[in-house]
Amino acid sequence: MIEVTGLTKRFKRTLAVDDLSFTVSPGRITGFLGANGAGKTTTMRLLLGLDQPTAGRATVNGMPYRDLKRPLTHVGALLDATAVQGGRRAEQHLWWLARSNGISRSRIGALLELVGLAPAGGKRIGGFSLGMKQRLGLAAALLGDPEVLVLDEPTNGLDPEGIRWMRALLKSLAAEGRTVLVSSHLMSEMAVTADHLIVVAQGRLLADAAITELVRPGTSLEDAFMNVIGRSAP
Amino acid sequence: MSVVAAEWIKLRTLRSTWWALGIGVLVSLALTVLGASTVISRWDPARTSDQAAMGIVVAVYVGVILAQLPLGMLGAMTISGEHASGMIDTTFVAAPSRACVLMAKAAVLSGAAVCGSLLIAVPGYLYGRFVAAEFRPSLLPTGAWTVIAGGTLMIVVTTLLGLALGAILRNGAVATMALVAIVLILPFVARVLPWGEQINRFLPTYPALQLIEQAPDIMPTWTAFTVLAAWAVIPLLIAVIANERSRPGS
Repeated sequence: MIEVTGLTKRFKRTLAVDDLSFTVSPGRITGFLGANGAGKTTTMRLLLGLDQPTAGRATVNGMPYRDLKRPLTHVGALLDATAVQGGRRAEQHLWWLARSNGISRSRIGALLELVGLAPAGGKRIGGFSLGMKQRLGLAAALLGDPEVLVLDEPTNGLDPEGIRWMRALLKSLAAEGRTVLVSSHLMSEMAVTADHLIVVAQGRLLADAAITELVRPGTSLEDAFMNVIGRSAP
Repeated sequence: MSVVAAEWIKLRTLRSTWWALGIGVLVSLALTVLGASTVISRWDPARTSDQAAMGIVVAVYVGVILAQLPLGMLGAMTISGEHASGMIDTTFVAAPSRACVLMAKAAVLSGAAVCGSLLIAVPGYLYGRFVAAEFRPSLLPTGAWTVIAGGTLMIVVTTLLGLALGAILRNGAVATMALVAIVLILPFVARVLPWGEQINRFLPTYPALQLIEQAPDIMPTWTAFTVLAAWAVIPLLIAVIANERSRPGS
């Protein structure tokens, strides 16, 4: 369960997140939709304690992220899959992460298997494609078997087969009762993946509804999105 | 402790760590051997065994502090490399206390610096005893411990100063420049200034050189240790404060 209340973040003159409130419930995939620069990544960074909010709060299972003990066992996050040091081998990267949160190193092999990186586990990350880095990032997010997943555009760089695989994996994770928040600007992908949508523009909440409410028969999610965005245009 | 263990894994799984340590240790060891041979060959035959032992220890620690720049660069790269790649976010998601992360990095880097200094000092010392065998050097005279402590502290302080500069400036090249300026250029400039001695009292290099008997005593020994240690402690405190602020512009 993720709860965001009156969350606001101002960077000098720009208001990146503007009085945002929403709840992400367990057991379903919540799509976090918005154009580039709408405040999706900033919201996720605030949620993970990487930036301090100007006002408001964000909690995971009722607690601010920074107060969680062994946070990776509560929340798995994938922000920027390319933000890894290329000199390390994939299994070494997962090893230090596991060690930092007291997670058994024995989970690493199975996770590399799960994300389809088993043959590349001993290779240096520097030689990985974007798709492989996304898979590694997902393995890192799942390392602590967390109840909550926060994923920023995880399908970037994946091939069509990879996208299908990711979708199936996210659905199974949600079906296990986990809370899954996935940001994207790919409407068609969200239309077939998400159960619930949170739509933001210019840092403000535009819609928070089940996908069936937003997308009426005969229209696409893209139409619905443009419609929601259009209504908010100044 | 988990954070320290994780930082230790991070440090040893990067090839650059081994390059920095390897180059630092090998170059210093080579220069120590050369320096010790030259110095010992010029000794007065009347030198006592305590004076001989002291001479060996001093020659060895002059060699040890030559490794301070590669180690200081390693300190800077340990954090600036994470800022450059963006992996620092993953680090802070795994360990939200930034002060804890910085202290963990400081702990593993201090360990690496002490190990590096021993890898130079122990073979250097044994070699020195071998070359100076005719003087029958004693094991470790009383004064030697000040030299050993001073030389070891110098290399640890430079490593941690590199880490602090890397954390504050978040750019490896700029941090290395700042480190070279503080450790090498400023002391040199201060020497040619009329009130340079007063400035040098407060820079890390002079106290270290005084402790390893390479510069005349201008301050009490404990003052030299304090000034030197402050060059690790104060920059690290500034780095902790700078790190707690959120990333600018992101």
